[in-house]
Amino acid sequence: MSTPKTTTITAPAESISAGAKRSPAAGKRNDALRFLPWVFLAPGLIIYSVVVVYPMLYSAYLSLFRWDGVAPKKVFVGIQNYVTLLTHNEVFWIALKNNAIWLVAALLVPTSIGLGLALVLNSRFRGSHIFRSIFYFPAVLSLAVVGLIWTWIYHPDLGLANQLLDALGLRVLKRNWLSDPQIAIYPVILAATWNAVGLPMLLFLAGLQTIPPELQEAAKVEGASPGQRFWHVTFPLLRETTLIVLAITSINALKAYDIIYAMTNGGPANRTQLLSTWMYFLTYNYNEVGLGTAIAVVLFSLTLIFAIPYIRMMTRKV
Amino acid sequence: MSTGSTSVKWKEADPRKSVSPARRARHLRSAQVPIFYAALIVAAIIWLAPVITLVLTALKDAGDFAVHGAFSLPKSIRWENFSEAWQTGVGNYFWNSVIVTSIKVPVGILIESMAAFALTHLHFRWANQVFVYILVGLIVPMQMTLVPLTLLMNALNLIDTLTGLIILYIGFGVPFGVLVMRGYFRTLPPAIIEAARIDGCSWFRIFFRIALPLALPAVVSLCILDGVATWNEFILAQIFLRSDELRTLPLGLVQFSTQFSTQYDQLAAAVLISVAPIMLVFLLFQRYFVAGMGGAVK
Repeated sequence: MSTPKTTTITAPAESISAGAKRSPAAGKRNDALRFLPWVFLAPGLIIYSVVVVYPMLYSAYLSLFRWDGVAPKKVFVGIQNYVTLLTHNEVFWIALKNNAIWLVAALLVPTSIGLGLALVLNSRFRGSHIFRSIFYFPAVLSLAVVGLIWTWIYHPDLGLANQLLDALGLRVLKRNWLSDPQIAIYPVILAATWNAVGLPMLLFLAGLQTIPPELQEAAKVEGASPGQRFWHVTFPLLRETTLIVLAITSINALKAYDIIYAMTNGGPANRTQLLSTWMYFLTYNYNEVGLGTAIAVVLFSLTLIFAIPYIRMMTRKV
Repeated sequence: MSTGSTSVKWKEADPRKSVSPARRARHLRSAQVPIFYAALIVAAIIWLAPVITLVLTALKDAGDFAVHGAFSLPKSIRWENFSEAWQTGVGNYFWNSVIVTSIKVPVGILIESMAAFALTHLHFRWANQVFVYILVGLIVPMQMTLVPLTLLMNALNLIDTLTGLIILYIGFGVPFGVLVMRGYFRTLPPAIIEAARIDGCSWFRIFFRIALPLALPAVVSLCILDGVATWNEFILAQIFLRSDELRTLPLGLVQFSTQFSTQYDQLAAAVLISVAPIMLVFLLFQRYFVAGMGGAVK
């Protein structure tokens, strides 16, 4: 934390550029000012470092050991835990595949619905605010609650899903949605999608507000069709919003956990495990701390792929 | 539906264009408006079907549910579901959530604002690096921290305490809070701070008396977003709360559902109790959701 050197000192600049002066008269106060930012930062930085950063690094370290979480001795095994996961852990691959399906679904479905709703609800017509609230509402519910509600919907006898199929005369499509190992992950993803639409909608709405209406008018005068106006005027201007939406949606998708716990608890036969839930099982149910933390590291690395562009974007505009 | 309704949108947004040469524009106005509303209303009902199911289930008795299923009007409204759920533990979970949220949110916002203020108005060399360091927290999956946190909380005797949980929540809340507050503080003109500085205000006074009050809209947004997130948090509560009487709502509900898996009426009432405060906050303050998220992405 060295002090940047400036040679010219003007009176007002002195007061804003804390710690940027070398004038002997101001010397004493400058020392105080030099530490001032850190005083303001300290509470947040300390608790964040202790609760988030240190545990994250320590997890990465633990993933190199075989350990049950209790024994005083941890056995160093190098990358063996990662090798075991990749070669001897079938559920890891199921979880990875489920994460991939979830990610693709999350990048396509809630984002498109959110964009569509934002386009429809962007204009101020009578009631537009009510509709915005309605479509955003599921996003404020906890995923545990979303999971519970949708578990009833998928109830084999009393649930809305099968009752609806009955009413439509589509009996053949009726399923025991959450107990069928072949398909169980999809109903869970659908439930998560219901919750995931609100955020992209909100962000796209915010993005649309920044587009000057004159551009639309000009395109319209030129005779552009609504489709052309969207693809050639609106959408290019939403580029940045879209990137942020895709980044946040993918980060959130990889974080999914509560909803699995509330709906299927990883079953049937581990068919709905995600990396996050399988990590929990290995660590807390099977006491395989090394394997569990290794999964956490894999999950974090995957998240990083989608997060780096996002972080760059957030810091670029400094 | 979407093509038709977007056309309506453009037209609605732009009434002067009624003589537009665009072929479709003329008949869209008169004919498509009712269709537009009808489509939106149908979509909204489908969208809210799960919530409607929830409310209907919470209001009817278990027998009614077993015979007619979830999506039918209750034969008679049974308010007792709520009081019974409340007494079977949900009341307790509710107050735990209230305690955790009402301590975590103000304390969190205070330290997040202080940090954000330092990053924006106390010019110092490492501001950008510190910000990136904090942003990393937004993407860390909680799973990555659980084992070391268990060891740490064990060592500090904070496992199975609300205090411990609140500390963890504050730590995990820092990145998002700093992001939102920083976004807002950056829009405060440095001249205001400068003027106060020339008048001899101390930095703490500037922060508490000038910067924070001016950032009130952001503080309110963050209060709401953070309040909802804290109210809804599941995984940390699941790992670090062990005894039933300390459980917060999301955790308690999942527990409740495994214990009383067949009592849909009470479970639905319990879920509704947990959702009610969120619903209320959402209806009263919905514009702040937009403002807060706007701050987070700008």
